[in-house]
Amino acid sequence: MEDQEILAKFADPAARNVAFNQLVRKYQSKIYWHVRKMVIDHDDADDLTQDVFVKVWNHLENFRRDASLYTWIYRIATNECLNFLSSKRRRFFLPLNDVGAELAQKVEADPGLAGDEIELRLQKAILRLPDKQRLVFNMKYYDEITYEQMADITGTSVGALKASYHHAVKKIEQYVNEESRPD
Amino acid sequence: MNTPFRLDDHKRRPQPLAPPPADYFERLPRQVMARVQPPAGSGSAAFGWLAFLPMPLRTALASVAVLGGFAASFFLSQPTAPASVPIAALEAVPHTEMVQYLLASDSRLTLTDLAELSAADHTLTDSFLQASPGELQDALDAQPTEENYL
Repeated sequence: MEDQEILAKFADPAARNVAFNQLVRKYQSKIYWHVRKMVIDHDDADDLTQDVFVKVWNHLENFRRDASLYTWIYRIATNECLNFLSSKRRRFFLPLNDVGAELAQKVEADPGLAGDEIELRLQKAILRLPDKQRLVFNMKYYDEITYEQMADITGTSVGALKASYHHAVKKIEQYVNEESRPD
Repeated sequence: MNTPFRLDDHKRRPQPLAPPPADYFERLPRQVMARVQPPAGSGSAAFGWLAFLPMPLRTALASVAVLGGFAASFFLSQPTAPASVPIAALEAVPHTEMVQYLLASDSRLTLTDLAELSAADHTLTDSFLQASPGELQDALDAQPTEENYL
C-alpha cells in the first residue's frame, strides 16, 4: 500500500487502526534493523522500535505531507537511537569508549558473526565511530539511502554527509587493518 | 604479507547481526497496536467520542475544562453567609447556661463584658445578677478605669 493511501486511511477514524497496522508492517523491518545496528542488542532494539512506532502514532496527524513518510519515520528512529545512547552514557557516567566497549562485547557475542573474523573486525571498527558518523555510515553503506534522503533525515547538508561517510570509510579501513596486523 | 582491507572489496552483508526471533515481525505490529490503544474500559464509554474530534478542538475543550474547574473551585470556595452558622449554633444555647459557663471557666470575663451584656439584654442579667440596672451601673462606676481605651 502506498504511503498516501495509508495516510488517507489514517485520517478516517474508522480505518485508523487498519491503516496504522499496515504502516507498521511496511516499515518495521527497516526501522528495526536501522535501530539494531546502532544499539546492537535485540531487546534494546525491540524497545526502541516499539517506541518509534508509538511516536509515529501520536504525531502522524501532524505529519506534513510535503516530506516523505519514510524519511520522517527514519528521522524519529534516528533521534530515538541517539537519545538512547546518550542517556545510556549519562545514566552510567560512562565515557564514550566504555559504551563503545560494551557494544563491542555484544557484537563479539552475536551469533550472526560467529566464525566470520573479517566481518567481526568490520563491525567492531564501525562501533569505534562517533554515534552520528556511525549513523551516516550505516544509512549509506547498509541501507543504501541517498544523500538527499539522509539530509532530510539528519538535517545535515549533502556535502557534509559525503565528507562524513568518506572519513568513516577511511577510519574503518584503518581500524580493521590495525586489528589485522600481527603483534 | 596480508592484503590491506578495503571496504569496496569486502562483500557487504545487509544485516550482519543475528536475526531476531522467528516470529518477531509477526508479533511486533500486535505489540505496537496494544501500546497505542487505550486500555479497555478506561472511560471509553463516557469519553470515547473525544477520539473522533480533531486535535485543535480537543485542545480547546481541555482548556475550557481546566478554566471551568478553576472558576468552579473559586466560586465554591467563597464564604456564603459566613457568620450565620456559628451564630445560629450559639443562639440555640440558653443564655443562662452560656453565662454560667463563662463565669465558671477561666475565660476572662471582665466587668466591661458584663456591663455591655446588661445594656444589651436586661432580662438576661436579671436572672443571675439580682441587681437593678442602676445598681449595676453604680457598681461599675466605682471600679477603677484601667481599661483606658474604653
